[in-house]
Amino acid sequence: MSDFASPEEYGLADLLCCAAAHEVQDNEVVFAGTGLPMVAIMLAQQTHAPDLKLIFEAGTLDGRPLELPTSVGDARCEMGSSRASGLNDAFSIAQRGYVDLGFLGGAEVDLYGNVNTTCIGDYLDPDLRLTGSGGNPDINSFASRTVFIMVHEKRRFVENTSYITSPGWRVKKWPGGEFVHRKELYGSAYRGGPSAIISTMGVFRFADEEDGHMYLDTCHPGVTPQQIQEQCQFKLDVSRIQGETLVPTREELHFIHDVLDPDEIFIPKVKK
Amino acid sequence: MSQDKHITIQQAAEIIKDGSSLTFSGFTIWRRPFAIVYELIRQYRKNLHLIEVNGGPQTEFLVGAGCVDIWESCWVGHELYGKYGANLSRKVADKEIIVEDYSHAEMLFRFVAGASGAPYAVTQTSLGTDIHNPEYDMLGKAGLRDGKRIAKEKYVFTEDPFFDGGQVVHVPAAKVDVALLCVQQVGEEGTVRVDGQFYSDPEVARAADITIVMAEEIVPEEYLRRNADQNTIASFEVDHIVQCPYGAHPTGMFGHYDVDGPFLKDFYSGTRTQEGYDAFAKEWIHGLDHHSYLEKLGWPRILKMRANSALNFCPREKKGGN
Repeated sequence: MSDFASPEEYGLADLLCCAAAHEVQDNEVVFAGTGLPMVAIMLAQQTHAPDLKLIFEAGTLDGRPLELPTSVGDARCEMGSSRASGLNDAFSIAQRGYVDLGFLGGAEVDLYGNVNTTCIGDYLDPDLRLTGSGGNPDINSFASRTVFIMVHEKRRFVENTSYITSPGWRVKKWPGGEFVHRKELYGSAYRGGPSAIISTMGVFRFADEEDGHMYLDTCHPGVTPQQIQEQCQFKLDVSRIQGETLVPTREELHFIHDVLDPDEIFIPKVKK
Repeated sequence: MSQDKHITIQQAAEIIKDGSSLTFSGFTIWRRPFAIVYELIRQYRKNLHLIEVNGGPQTEFLVGAGCVDIWESCWVGHELYGKYGANLSRKVADKEIIVEDYSHAEMLFRFVAGASGAPYAVTQTSLGTDIHNPEYDMLGKAGLRDGKRIAKEKYVFTEDPFFDGGQVVHVPAAKVDVALLCVQQVGEEGTVRVDGQFYSDPEVARAADITIVMAEEIVPEEYLRRNADQNTIASFEVDHIVQCPYGAHPTGMFGHYDVDGPFLKDFYSGTRTQEGYDAFAKEWIHGLDHHSYLEKLGWPRILKMRANSALNFCPREKKGGN
């Protein structure tokens, strides 16, 4: 039996980290992002997915770091890995189709899982230039499934993103820019797309075999579907809701705070 | 024995002219050639065109100093020490810089093409995104696509002609004047040995017309040639070499020192405005050379970042630990 933690024993970051870890299946090849997803993947490795293979974008294949890396270029990535090399390996392997799952983030997302990390406002006259794409669209193009972890605010769950940095289920067909299902563009390179969004309010999935729209899967404890709808600019499909997001177990919290991130680099401990 | 490749940091910076295109070794906040980047800023280099697989603090320092007219890349920030490139954002808002966005894999493949002498690379990444929006071809809008150093088109789309695989995108080879590398070891004749992840260093070195390697140490060629399979870049791909311990600071060097996180945090939080940048540059760049910069940092700070030679990184002090 799972030994679920009580509400005062975990924080929101713990909940998100465990929800992200639950997206990983054993034996999968997983492309790691920096931050909370890295802890999540290593948590999965410690618990239900001991044989997952971790790839760091900067060039580490099947990594088993001794100490939590703070980014994918970190010197901590190399030791214990099967091969440490470079980006040409990491991206070629991804384009070849080895990658099952990638974890990503974003500043804005729309109904079809298109994500923006490039700018807020008109690209040609932006209110704010952000970091840019990084590998977000590449992993999202090459992996079978991608999971996004995002802060949930109305300004982030938008009708139209300022810029589509990373492709969702309905994307722009150039030169005209009309929206089509991504299958139409990717041809034989089509392997899938965004599979879940884990926000600070709930977990969302996509009707990818239909029109690819986002729907609410689970609400985090204490959050209602109405509250989530209020924080989305688009009409959210709440017809398929499956109840509450699973809360962390005491075992998971032990791994997060005593083994993986004891220095609270990415996941703060709950103040007791 | 080939010609003497040794030069100084000052001479390395002088090789890069106003208007040069430039790229770097490393990845985000690791192994960036900072000692030469600082020298470029001291020499008030102008109109640079940066073409980077990914950006990082070196982008931000050069952009903030006003050295850069064009930035072609996919990402800039300081990882967990600063979430975006505040200097680039400010210059974009003020329309003082041209930004050409590609995806990370596209940038990498552009350098793979450049390094192999191919005119372009073919990929199927980022289809359907605004990265491919024809209205967002910024070098084209600026009338700079001369078909010489800057490609005539940002992208060309075709259908896979061989296997009916669907839409493919052609991205132009990266053509770069100078690559600045920062590595652990270089031989007297230019052979490079990178320890740890080598990121996109082999591709950027080969794609550039001139490659300058700054190393923690210059070692006898014979030493590197004893185990040639461990070397990363061949001697004749490298034109100039510079010895410069701690030359990557504030970025990290696998096996030697970690990233100076507090330094990057101070830079990020202090340089949101041009006044803030100018004050930071006055304190940490102008009027200093590499030795006085290290003296200013001081031994305690430098020792705190030193890597453990068995682990190749600096292990964290465990909170409340044993």
